Amino acid sequence: MALMLKSKDKTVSTKTKEKAVSNERIKPKRYSIERKEARWGFVFTIPCLVFFAIFAFYPIIYAFITSLTDRRAISRTWSFSGLENYIYIFTKDNGGFPLSNSIRATLVFTLGTFIPMIIISLIVAVFLMQLRKNRQRAFFQFVYYTPAVLSSVVAATIWMILFDPRGLVNQFSNFVLGTSGVDYNWLVNSTMLQISTMLVYFWKYIGYFVILFITGLAAIPPTIYEAATVDGASRWKSFWRITLPLLKPTTVMVSIMAMLQCLKTFSTQYMFHQGGAARRPIDVITMNIYFTGIRNGRLGRACAMSIVLFCIMLILSYLQLAFTRSAEEVEY
Amino acid sequence: MKKFLVILMALSLMVTSVFANGNKEDKPITIEFWTHEDANRQLLEDRYIKEFQDMHPNVKINVTRQAATSMIELVQTAFAAGSGPTVFNLSINDEYPLIAAGRVAPVDYAAIGYKDAAELEAAYMDGMLAPVTYEGDIYGLPLELTNWAIFINKKVFRDAGLDPEKDYPKTWEEMADISEKIAIRDGDILIRRGFDFRYPYYLEAFVPMVEQLGGALFSEDGTEAIVGEDAWVKFLTFMQEWGPNGRNLGSPTYTNARSLFNKDNNDIAMANTGLYQEARIKNDNIDFYNSGEWMVVPFPVFEDAVNDVAACYYGHYYMVNADADAATQEMAWEFIQYMLSHGEEYLETVQIIQPTKALMESDTYKNMPYSDVFTQDFARAHIVYHAENSTEVNALIRAAVEAVMLQNVEPKKAYQDLKKAVQELIDEG
Repeated sequence: MALMLKSKDKTVSTKTKEKAVSNERIKPKRYSIERKEARWGFVFTIPCLVFFAIFAFYPIIYAFITSLTDRRAISRTWSFSGLENYIYIFTKDNGGFPLSNSIRATLVFTLGTFIPMIIISLIVAVFLMQLRKNRQRAFFQFVYYTPAVLSSVVAATIWMILFDPRGLVNQFSNFVLGTSGVDYNWLVNSTMLQISTMLVYFWKYIGYFVILFITGLAAIPPTIYEAATVDGASRWKSFWRITLPLLKPTTVMVSIMAMLQCLKTFSTQYMFHQGGAARRPIDVITMNIYFTGIRNGRLGRACAMSIVLFCIMLILSYLQLAFTRSAEEVEY
Repeated sequence: MKKFLVILMALSLMVTSVFANGNKEDKPITIEFWTHEDANRQLLEDRYIKEFQDMHPNVKINVTRQAATSMIELVQTAFAAGSGPTVFNLSINDEYPLIAAGRVAPVDYAAIGYKDAAELEAAYMDGMLAPVTYEGDIYGLPLELTNWAIFINKKVFRDAGLDPEKDYPKTWEEMADISEKIAIRDGDILIRRGFDFRYPYYLEAFVPMVEQLGGALFSEDGTEAIVGEDAWVKFLTFMQEWGPNGRNLGSPTYTNARSLFNKDNNDIAMANTGLYQEARIKNDNIDFYNSGEWMVVPFPVFEDAVNDVAACYYGHYYMVNADADAATQEMAWEFIQYMLSHGEEYLETVQIIQPTKALMESDTYKNMPYSDVFTQDFARAHIVYHAENSTEVNALIRAAVEAVMLQNVEPKKAYQDLKKAVQELIDEG
C-alpha cells in the first residue's frame, strides 16, 4: 500500500514537473507580438468604451432607475414607486394612448417596412452589380443613397407636401389608376396613413441598405461565379446557389440593422401627426414615449416604456441571430 | 503697527469681497430669453434688448426663438434637465403646471415699479392676472391676451354669389352651409374651402362650441370629466359632418386656413384667428390689407345654443425661472417690464394686446380695424382651461375629433372613449 502511494506520489510529482516544464515552454507566448498588439488594441478601444459607457450604458441604467420612480418633468422631487409604472402601462389606457396600441403600430410598421426593404434592396444591389460600367453603377448608387443623407424631419416634411390632398401623390395615383379627383386619403384613412409612413421610410433608407448589400456582393470572389459558369450554371441558378448563401452574413447584419431602425422610428410619425394626421394609427412606441415624457411630463412612465422597447429590440435581435446562427460559418 | 494695519486692511478687503452681494449694476448677468417666433414682434424686441443692454452694460441677453408649437416641449425638457431659460413665455395652459410645481418665480413688484400685487392688478383689466395668480402671488406678466374671431375674405364671398356684409355666418350651421356654397372641388379634393378650423387648439376654439350646447369639460366640483353627453355627441357629429367622411368641407390634413388667408389666393374664405392677424396680413400682403376686401365677424354659436360663448381667450405670459439667482431674477423682471412698457408699440406694430387698462382704453386700440368685434367677443368669452393636465386634455379632445373626422368613428363611441380617458386623468390626480 505504502509502495503504491509512493509510486502514485512519484507519478503526481512527475506530472507536476512536466506541467511546470510545459508552462515554462508556454510562458514566452504571454509576451508574444500578438498579445502586445492586442493590448494596444484594447488601449485604443478605451475611448470608444468610455464614450459608449457615458452615452449608451449610463442612459439605459438611468432610464431603468427612473422607470421605477414617479418622476415628472417639472417637479423637483420624486419617489420610488417600484413596478407601478410597468403595471400601469400594461393595464391602463395611458390617457387614451395605450402601450398595447403602440406595440401594434410599431410591429405593423416594422414588418411592413423592413421585410420589403431587405428584399428590394437586395434585388436593386444585384441589379447594380450587373452593370458593367462603373460610372453607371456609381450614378445609381448616388441616386438611391441621396435620400439617406436628408434629415428625417426634412424627408417627412417633403412627403407631407406630396401627400397633401392637392399634392403630387394624389395626382400621380389618379393618373396611374385612371381616376379623376379621387382623394386617396394618404393622411386620413388609418390604413393609408400607415402605408404613407412606411413609404417615406422605405424611400429614405433603401439606398443605405443597397450600399451595404453591394459591399457584401463585392466581397464574393468572382472565381466562384467563373467556375459555376464553366460548369454550365445559369445566372438564376448562380444567384440562388452562390450569391444568396454567400451573402448570408450581410443579409443577417442588414436585416438586424433594418429591424432595429424600424423599431426606433419616430420622426416621420411625429411630423405627420404635427401636420394634422391622426395619432392612434401611427402611435409607435417611440412617439408614445415622447408624448408621455416630454409633452405630458411623465418621465417615470415614459422610461418604463423605453425599457419595454429596449427589451423588445433585444429579444427580436436575439431571435434573429439564433435563427441565422449558421451564417457565421460561411467561408469563401 | 504698520504691519498690523496693512494685514487688517487686506483682511477687511477680503471680507468685503467675499460677503458683499455687489451692486446689481456691476455683477455680470446673463439672461437666457426664450420666446416664440413672430417676425413683427422680433423686430421690436430685438430693439428693446439692445436698448436694455445699453442701459445695463453688465447684462447680456441671449434670445432664442422657436415655433410656438415647439416651445412647450423645449421649455419642459430644459426644466427637466435643470437648465430652463431665465425668461420665457408660453400659452397659459402650458405655463400653469410650472407655477404649480414651483419652477417659476413670483413677480418682483419693486423691480417693475409697483408697490404690491394689488397695485399691479389694478393696472390690468379685471381678472387678467388671475390665471397666473397662485396662493396670493402673481407669477407672470401678459405679453398678449388673445381671443379669436372670424376673418372673412369678401372677394371669395362675392365670387360664390354671397354678400359678405349680410350673409356672413352667425351660427355653426350657417358656417357649414356657406362653406358648402363657397367650396370648389376637383372630385373629392377641395380646391377652395369656405372655412376651416384651427385644429391643434381644441381647448381654445372647440370646447366653447361644446359649452354653447350646454356641455362642459368638467363638472363644477371637478370630479366628473366631459360633462353633458348630448352636447359632446352633437359637437362630435358636427365635426364628423365637416370632415372628409361627411360633407367634406375641411380637414386637419389640409394646409391651415390662417396661413392661406393672408395670401388671398382664392383658396380660403374664412379663418379663425386673433387681432394679430391684421399685422400679419399687412406684413405678408400689404395690397390685400389696404384693399378693404377683408372683414372680421364674431365667433358663431349653434342654432340651439343654450350659452352664448365665444372662443376662449388665452394669454402668453412672460415668466422668470425660479432657479435663477436673486440678482438675475430682479434684472429679468426689470427687463420684462421694460419690454412691456411699450404696450402701444406692440399693439401698433404686432397688434397684440397687453390687457392694461391704459391700453384697452387708448385711442390706438379703439382705432384698430375691428377691435370692437374682439372687445365684444372678450365679453362673451372666458379664459382657456389651464391646469396641470391641460396639455393632456387638449391631446385627448384632439384624438376624439380626429377619430370622428378622419377614422369615421361613431361620435358616441368617440365621446365614451374621451370621457373614459379624461376621467382617468383626473382620477389619477
